Amino acid sequence: MHHLLPFFLIVPLAGFLLSLIPSNQQEKPIFRIAAGVVLTHFALLVALLIGWGMAGFEDLHWKGFDLYEARSAHFTIDLFFDRTTAVYFSVTVILTFMVLMFSRFYIHREKGYKRFFNNILFFYSGLTTILFAGNFETLLIGWEIIGVSSFFLIAYYRDRYLPVKNALKVVSLYRVADVFLLYAIWLCHHYFHKSITFFDLNNLMPADTPLIFGTVFEITIPMAFYVVAMVKSAQLPFSSWLPRAMEGPTSSSAIFYGSLSVHIGIFLLIRTYPLWHTSTWFLVLLAFTGIATSVVATLVARVQATVKTQIAYSSIAQIGIMVVEVALGWHTLALFHFAGNAFLRTYQLLVSPSVLSYLIHDQFFHFTPPQHQKADTFWEKLKVTVYMLSLKEWNLDTLMYRLLWMPLKMIGNSITFMTARMAVWIFVPLYVAGVVLVFQREELPQMLLRWLPTALAFISLLMIIKAFVKRNEARNAWSLVIVSQLFVGLAIAYNEQFDPAQVLLFYSGISISAAIGYRTFYILEKSGESTMLDRFQGHSYERPRLSVAFLIAGLGLIGFPITPTFIGEDLILGHVHQNQYLLAAMIGLTLILDGLAVYRIYARLFLGPHEKTYHEIAYRSS
Amino acid sequence: MEKHSSRIFNEAHVLHQLEHYLPSQTPLKDFVHHNSLHAFQDQKFYDAIFKASKMFGFQVTIQLNEFRKLYKINRIRREILESVIKERKGEQHLDAWLQKALQQQYDYNIEPRIGRLRALWKSHYHIDLDNLVQPLLFRILCSFLDQGVALWNFPFEEKGLLGAIRTLEQNSFAGFIHGKRARKLLMDSSLELADLLKIVAGDEAFFEQYLFDQQFAHRGWSGMVATVEHRPESLLYAKNISLRELIHLELIMEIDALDRALGTEKWQPLALVAQAEPMDLFAEAAISEFHEVLMIWQDAFEWSYYDEVLAGLQHLKGFQSQTDEDIKDVSFQAIFCIDEREDSLRRHIEMVDKRSETLGAPGFFGVEFFFQPSGGKFYEKLCPAPVTPKYLIKEKETGPHHRKRELLYTKRSHTMLQGFVITLSLGLWAAVKLFLDLFRPKMSPAISDAFAHMNMDAELQIESADPPTMENGLQLGFTVTEMADRVENLLRGIGMAERFARIVYMVGHGSSSANNPHHGAHDCGACSGRPGAVNARVFAFMANHAKVRELLSARGMHIPAGTRFVGALHDTAADEIAFYDADVLPQQLAKAHEQHQNAFEEALNLNAKERSRRFASIDTQADIKKVREAIRRRSVSYFEPRPELGHGTNALCFVGHRGLTKGLFFDRRAFMNSYDYRTDPDGRLLLNVIRPLPIVCGGINLEYYFSRVDNYKLGAGTKLPHNVMGLIGVANSSDGDLRPGLPLQMIEVHDPVRLLILVEHYPDVVLKTIGAQDDLYDWFKDEWVHLVAIHPDTNDFYYFKNEAFYLYKPVKESVERADDVHYLLESAKEMETNYIVDATQENLPVHILTE
Repeated sequence: MHHLLPFFLIVPLAGFLLSLIPSNQQEKPIFRIAAGVVLTHFALLVALLIGWGMAGFEDLHWKGFDLYEARSAHFTIDLFFDRTTAVYFSVTVILTFMVLMFSRFYIHREKGYKRFFNNILFFYSGLTTILFAGNFETLLIGWEIIGVSSFFLIAYYRDRYLPVKNALKVVSLYRVADVFLLYAIWLCHHYFHKSITFFDLNNLMPADTPLIFGTVFEITIPMAFYVVAMVKSAQLPFSSWLPRAMEGPTSSSAIFYGSLSVHIGIFLLIRTYPLWHTSTWFLVLLAFTGIATSVVATLVARVQATVKTQIAYSSIAQIGIMVVEVALGWHTLALFHFAGNAFLRTYQLLVSPSVLSYLIHDQFFHFTPPQHQKADTFWEKLKVTVYMLSLKEWNLDTLMYRLLWMPLKMIGNSITFMTARMAVWIFVPLYVAGVVLVFQREELPQMLLRWLPTALAFISLLMIIKAFVKRNEARNAWSLVIVSQLFVGLAIAYNEQFDPAQVLLFYSGISISAAIGYRTFYILEKSGESTMLDRFQGHSYERPRLSVAFLIAGLGLIGFPITPTFIGEDLILGHVHQNQYLLAAMIGLTLILDGLAVYRIYARLFLGPHEKTYHEIAYRSS
Repeated sequence: MEKHSSRIFNEAHVLHQLEHYLPSQTPLKDFVHHNSLHAFQDQKFYDAIFKASKMFGFQVTIQLNEFRKLYKINRIRREILESVIKERKGEQHLDAWLQKALQQQYDYNIEPRIGRLRALWKSHYHIDLDNLVQPLLFRILCSFLDQGVALWNFPFEEKGLLGAIRTLEQNSFAGFIHGKRARKLLMDSSLELADLLKIVAGDEAFFEQYLFDQQFAHRGWSGMVATVEHRPESLLYAKNISLRELIHLELIMEIDALDRALGTEKWQPLALVAQAEPMDLFAEAAISEFHEVLMIWQDAFEWSYYDEVLAGLQHLKGFQSQTDEDIKDVSFQAIFCIDEREDSLRRHIEMVDKRSETLGAPGFFGVEFFFQPSGGKFYEKLCPAPVTPKYLIKEKETGPHHRKRELLYTKRSHTMLQGFVITLSLGLWAAVKLFLDLFRPKMSPAISDAFAHMNMDAELQIESADPPTMENGLQLGFTVTEMADRVENLLRGIGMAERFARIVYMVGHGSSSANNPHHGAHDCGACSGRPGAVNARVFAFMANHAKVRELLSARGMHIPAGTRFVGALHDTAADEIAFYDADVLPQQLAKAHEQHQNAFEEALNLNAKERSRRFASIDTQADIKKVREAIRRRSVSYFEPRPELGHGTNALCFVGHRGLTKGLFFDRRAFMNSYDYRTDPDGRLLLNVIRPLPIVCGGINLEYYFSRVDNYKLGAGTKLPHNVMGLIGVANSSDGDLRPGLPLQMIEVHDPVRLLILVEHYPDVVLKTIGAQDDLYDWFKDEWVHLVAIHPDTNDFYYFKNEAFYLYKPVKESVERADDVHYLLESAKEMETNYIVDATQENLPVHILTE
């Protein structure tokens, strides 16, 4: 049966590629490709379920192939199917099919009909990859795909300000989760001394023996997964991204942010359960987070006066309960709960515009004016306080801003004395010297060698922070991103036995991307367009193709799956030793920021309201 | 508007100005179409739109390159373009202006006056003030105005917006305002706006500009607040709020945000950092050559169509096989709303039953009243928006409207523990329900159902007691004289004083649609955006009333005793019809009615087919029954953002007898008001007939026009991401501004042309009639609608311009003909995209139907 598994990944990817062919007006073929993918999946799923059932519901494992192999590291594609996958994937197939049917005429004549279905298929490919992943590396590929397609689903209306702003906001958090996932993988590598598969985790685990114990890993591995799962499932304190993700057409918000995407955290918790299920403190932490989220989200949902936001928070509240269920080991209940919540919220979101006439009608016949609020007792005052906090979403949105971006901005702004030009003049020679010296690394003093990688990574981090806060020419920020990437490579080169092949692979991805980027700026500037980053320029209105080219370059630069940089990134973490937490932290931070900096450059240049006003321009507040 | 010479800040005056310019759309439960640029209507059309554009950055015509493309595909005709240029610029400048129109390059970027002062927050202080203030401000406003989304009401709302916020701040351990200074300002109830403006703007001379910048940064919310303030009855759950309070609160929030970002009192008001003098927002906008080119193109675009219409009218005479007068033995008469969506149904009915006769009158049928369904806690107005009725019609108590509840809409699913039970129990049901909704869509409680507005079999209290009883200042029902007045007015107005068939149908209209916050915009405009069933029934009752008929006879209007009026409702989305009180028809008539019903059904089939050509989901060539079923399903499909296309494409309004237009195919673009000049030689009735047309039809037309030319700023944008805010409006995001105007899906078929009203009467009579009232006259004088008088004797056309009528000879020499309307519909091309140049090609030219 397990031979069927790879087809589940191939079909949507093929469908996605196929869906790029028709033009935007060819709505029928576009829809048919999408529906074809899901129907094929449905048929495959039925076949698989029958075969799987006849074989006694044994977990299926498809040992894949090495995507990349080197002396010290593998990147293996590996697939897995158990009842968690079965439930999640069944719900995914059913919902996706229905939402595709819904969207067929719903999206009719949108400027981005094709873009919509492309994104849905891409997202769906990512989701399928996650659900069928047999190891963390495979899962990471799906994870990244979801991150990128989320950005485009949220910023679907790319000529308006709020969707673009919120897409950046959401994807920033996603990026944090991605890097924590990368950390988790790195930690697991060092702990297990191999790429652990879910099959091994689920089946080779001796009953009741904690898999990890007694080491620092007992804390770091679960915590890394904790952050990833809490971000993705919008648990405290990350909840506020979910309502802000509902910027696209209602049908895509309904399926992904209302149901599928937001439950992925629960999936990850179930997957990693063997890693932490005997760790009492972690179970308590999970339960506490789940309950706290559920209470807070329910309160927020009570006071929300906008329909979609209300549904988003009700969904978060239920997911909080699911977190508790998973922690308690009640996975069957959690899976049921997931299915129910996914269906219910999708439905509620899809029909959310109906609420207006439904409730007005209700009000017409049943309205009774509410009681006046009192303020005389402590209890009443407490109630009023809770109301105000809930209206402000318990400041979660501003908290994210302060916690995540303010520090970066402050650091970035504190190094403004260093201009981009200066940076290039100082660090490029430094870099060249570094490259020359790396071939003589044996002759360098041991002390220097120990600290050099960290120092280089620190330079890299500074560069990227600077790129992130840059407000002037895009070219400067772009250069900083590239220089930063080069230093990461150099840091690795000094860290271990230098393997030119791996670093070259990493660099090859960067150099192509870099060139396309520079070419883009050149084209824009030559025709008198602004490439400043101090506002959204919206160039995709006039130059949609250039925008796509730059986007691909950008994705290459930040190590999107299947690009060489991605494999490079994964390998790089493979070269960080298990005691080098500082180095790992710095490289991780650099990777987060490098993604954000590139998303930001892309968004500022190509998205948002167009700077020219000869045509219809949206209000900033819309 | 008075001129602003002084720079002294007058709070009342500025508030009044703001209210004048802000959008005036009411909460979405009611939808009354109006001119989106009503604030500029005291000026001539072109002056007004270019001024609005300069002030607020709106696009006010389609783009120059789009006009040029329309010219290339001959949608704008060369001869019309030339004649427009000749008329505007003189023959000698024809070539020069042709070159300008066709080739000259212009810079068409608009640099609006609005927003420049407050842009200094960003450019000078590097602070994004709107981002810091708006999200919370919108949340507060939305929650305060919320009609019933949240499960928890805004505390202390009875104290008004500011009062509530003050009480909240005093009585809670959290706060919306954090800084010491801002809190002190908030609590000081003696402060005027000027005191706060002094802090942010500094110099009094900048106050007005600052407030305009600030309020127009979120014109949706500000407009809603101003509207609710002045029309509290537009909400069922009344709210105590004013624009002044909103501004007061916003200024304090701004001060708070600035203090926090820049340090308390460490920043200077904008007047001190502004390099320029305060700007006069209201100064007249210079008309540039580019604007003149746009005017030429807009005129040419409009006249390319009007000319074709007039040519059609001219050529029709030779083809008409029969007109009303020729029908000897009329089988039935049907009076429809003037709505342009009824144009096609009327055509089909006349074709199905050649002896039938159709007429058009505004869909409230001249009876104005409030309506209260049984069990309802409020009244609904059923007449044009500007009218305030003195009457109340109630459903007799039959128990409340029984509407089933929709399980999945329960608010309980938003609580934690009940939500837990519901997700586990109803979750799977949601999947099943979704499946059914997709593949077997059917009417459900959550879908707005035009027929559910009134209980089908409810008894109405139409006749008042003697003496009349009053309820809340309204008279319950109409007296016999009041009924007779209304029946007489309507029938005489549409020229129906003599010939009566045995059955006269009064066909109101409404629209059913699913998942559509804008459903009110599809209902009857003459009934304040509600279905017209009650009016149709009420009118039929009045006209059937024996005492009313006696009184009418005395006044010289003899309705034969055998004639019965029957009320009906046409659902323009589902293409279904329902007849009211038909069961009490005498047996003979009941039989005839049955036959007519069949005719209506057949006509509805054809109507469905005609409409289906614009719908991608329906194959127009399929079996007609299937097409009809598909049309019905659309109206109850959640996934269909275009249950119908509303007033899209409207462009014409006929005032005249049916013979004028019978046999012409207008592709549902014409409002049609029946009127017979012969019964009204001196135009006494005409004034009442014409008076509502500019405001109702012109209002519809201009709202479509502006939503089409700038769907981002004047329209509501695409519906697909809309989020319902507090049951009063829609916004795009959880933190977005309200979006007044029409959504993209409603306007994409619309050609942005002004309404052409065509009146069949002597030009001097028409001139005298429209001149009788200034506000009526201004619509025509200032060119917000076009007017053509059709000379009844010569059939010549007289165009109204510069306050006089001029003879117009159609340029177009031949008119398209169609001997098979089915073929015409089946072969029509569907638009490739909704870009104007593609979209307009879906609109068919005027045809003479020769079958």
